[in-house]
Amino acid sequence: MGFAVTVGGRRVDCAADQSLLDACLRAGLWMPNSCNQGTCGTCKLKVVGGEVDHRDSPFDTLTAEERAAGLALACQARPVSDVEVGGAGDRSTHPLRDLTATVLEVADIARDTRRVLLGLPEPLAFSAGQYVELVVPGSGARRQYSLANTADEDKVLELHVRRVPGGVATDGWLFDGLAVGDVVAATGPLGDFHLPPESDDDGGPMVLVGGGTGLAPLVGIARTALARHPAREVVLYHGVRGAADLYDGDRFAELAEQHPNFRFVPVLSDEPSSEHRSGFPTDAFVDDVPSARGWSGWLCGPPAMVEAGVKAFKRRRMAPRHIHREKFTPADALG
Amino acid sequence: MTTTEKPDLSWLDDVTMTELERNPYRTYERLRAEAPLAFVPVLGSYVASTAEVCREVATSPDFEGVITPAGGRTFGHPAIIGVNGDIHADLRSMVEPALQPVEVDRWIDDLVRPIARRYLEQFENDGRAELVSQYCEPVSVRSLGDLLGLQSVDSDKLRDWFAKLNRSFTNAAMTEEGEFANPEGFREGDEAKAEIRAIVDPLIDKWIEEPDDSAISHWLHDGMPPGQTRDREYIYPTIYVYLLGAMQEPGHGMASTLVGLFSRPEQFEQVVDDPVLIPRAISEGMRWTSPIWSATARISTKDVTVAGVDIPAGTPVMLSYGSANHDSGVYEAPSTYDLHRPPLPHLAFGAGSHACAGIYFANHVMRIALEELFEAIPNLERDTGEGVEFWGWGFRGPTSLHVTWEV
Repeated sequence: MGFAVTVGGRRVDCAADQSLLDACLRAGLWMPNSCNQGTCGTCKLKVVGGEVDHRDSPFDTLTAEERAAGLALACQARPVSDVEVGGAGDRSTHPLRDLTATVLEVADIARDTRRVLLGLPEPLAFSAGQYVELVVPGSGARRQYSLANTADEDKVLELHVRRVPGGVATDGWLFDGLAVGDVVAATGPLGDFHLPPESDDDGGPMVLVGGGTGLAPLVGIARTALARHPAREVVLYHGVRGAADLYDGDRFAELAEQHPNFRFVPVLSDEPSSEHRSGFPTDAFVDDVPSARGWSGWLCGPPAMVEAGVKAFKRRRMAPRHIHREKFTPADALG
Repeated sequence: MTTTEKPDLSWLDDVTMTELERNPYRTYERLRAEAPLAFVPVLGSYVASTAEVCREVATSPDFEGVITPAGGRTFGHPAIIGVNGDIHADLRSMVEPALQPVEVDRWIDDLVRPIARRYLEQFENDGRAELVSQYCEPVSVRSLGDLLGLQSVDSDKLRDWFAKLNRSFTNAAMTEEGEFANPEGFREGDEAKAEIRAIVDPLIDKWIEEPDDSAISHWLHDGMPPGQTRDREYIYPTIYVYLLGAMQEPGHGMASTLVGLFSRPEQFEQVVDDPVLIPRAISEGMRWTSPIWSATARISTKDVTVAGVDIPAGTPVMLSYGSANHDSGVYEAPSTYDLHRPPLPHLAFGAGSHACAGIYFANHVMRIALEELFEAIPNLERDTGEGVEFWGWGFRGPTSLHVTWEV
């Protein structure tokens, strides 16, 4: 007789006489532990679903109040039903919903780049920076697109889409037959790439680096951050190959007018320019910012750019827990 | 050789303390393979070297706690690590309340984080540091020192004390006659104890009259009838246990974890990028180079057979946890630091009724110290122009760790 133990979305088999800790460790799922005899308390966790038998858990280590609050010592507790164990923190998230959206606008805004606006019948609760998943008609394939919206722009979703040659969602749909009035099935919001809650946001300086249409979530995040703290320092780098890939310049110029400490810096990697910086946006950051202590950093783009960004931020001594990243591999490239 | 034949262990006659202190792993690897329970002449004691035998002896009802001879010479009686029965129960009940997880959770962050930040501020803009003496040891001793009530004793003094007590405690070499081979080696420990008494006695005088919330004040008063305190001679050996192991080992654990991570640059990056991995990194660091490498022992309470060896009643057995944690029967490639190895339990904190009472505290001191280090200096690199040397048989860790970073 065994039970399933679910930890952070992973299911592990646990025999009736096996400790939760033993089952997890044997399945290769690490959790903090030290004494393995109930005395140190290192493996204390929260049982959020199901029942456990605390066995020999000493009351010194696991008090009656803690038991009543659902805590358990993983090295002692045995499951008496299927059990779900809480992960680190109980972060509330916006509920995931199935959406039926209507295409309101399709605009070519840069080379191989489109802005798609989707109208929703009901407002969607999300955090700026999150993404939605679109269902590609006919194929059943799903593709993820970040929202460029702030959280109060909750009835019209703004997506930036880059064409992938031969891509089923782009060449086969969003860059082909998509028309105003079309109905699109989607799911959202998803992802953890978003600002901390307003109460935890001290208004510290921020650097955001977007590669190509990786700019989209940063548009929502930067505007949200500036709405919270209008005078905060925000530097937004947009890395693209050439000037033809740039878009929304007017929008950022307007934002800079309203917020004197906001800077938008386009960086072109593949062509020399008298008007714009050249090279990679993460190198531009290293050149511009001598110390990023106390800053937060936001990276969205191809994996190589995100990796370079993490290194650049750390090199300027940004605390790693303030580095946020959204890697996107163009799923559409998979065909 | 047939299975009934005893292995030839004459090679053990040539093992020296110096060799064990420099690198005990070669000797213990051979012990694990040939004789997981063996008499080691230089130590004048039986030694358990595998995970299975260490755990068996540590948790067996036929053994109880005993302090090693050099440890007993250094700490005196009754040290919490070497007593049993009612005295052990009383000493555990004296030290444990402050170390309970619920209690530690209440103040650990406010205690350790400002200390870690204070030491970091002293060098974070220098671009280079020697982390053992500038960070790992100071954070370790200051955190525990403040908890104990030793705010008035500066960190360098606390570091000096643990180093001297360490060398005295592990002055383990014995003659064939069962005498200490190097009696002079206890002198610096005795000097440290005299200094400790000169500084701590007046504090105890004060705590007797004016109890406060420091740990040693609680040790004096908790569980005693009104108007009475525990005799200072009764608690001093346990104060020495703290001033050695509890002061030194979180520093060792941090430094070993860092050296281990530096040996795996990609794992170092992962841990810096995701501080949630720090406890796991520490756990593997404690396995990889166990700070309390071979400092505890048990004694048989009756005639018993362990690992095929007949042990008469009253025989001490040293528990080599640092060796047990390199047992290739349990860990693949045990001498490699690997954050992602199958996460099996280790014996770095011991087992049984004498298992470390400070596990929770120590783990959190190390966690917070590394969190703050990586937060302040995420671009930390090992200074490859300087080597890293480990030292110690009883207690083990890197003697120095030079690092650089861009400022």
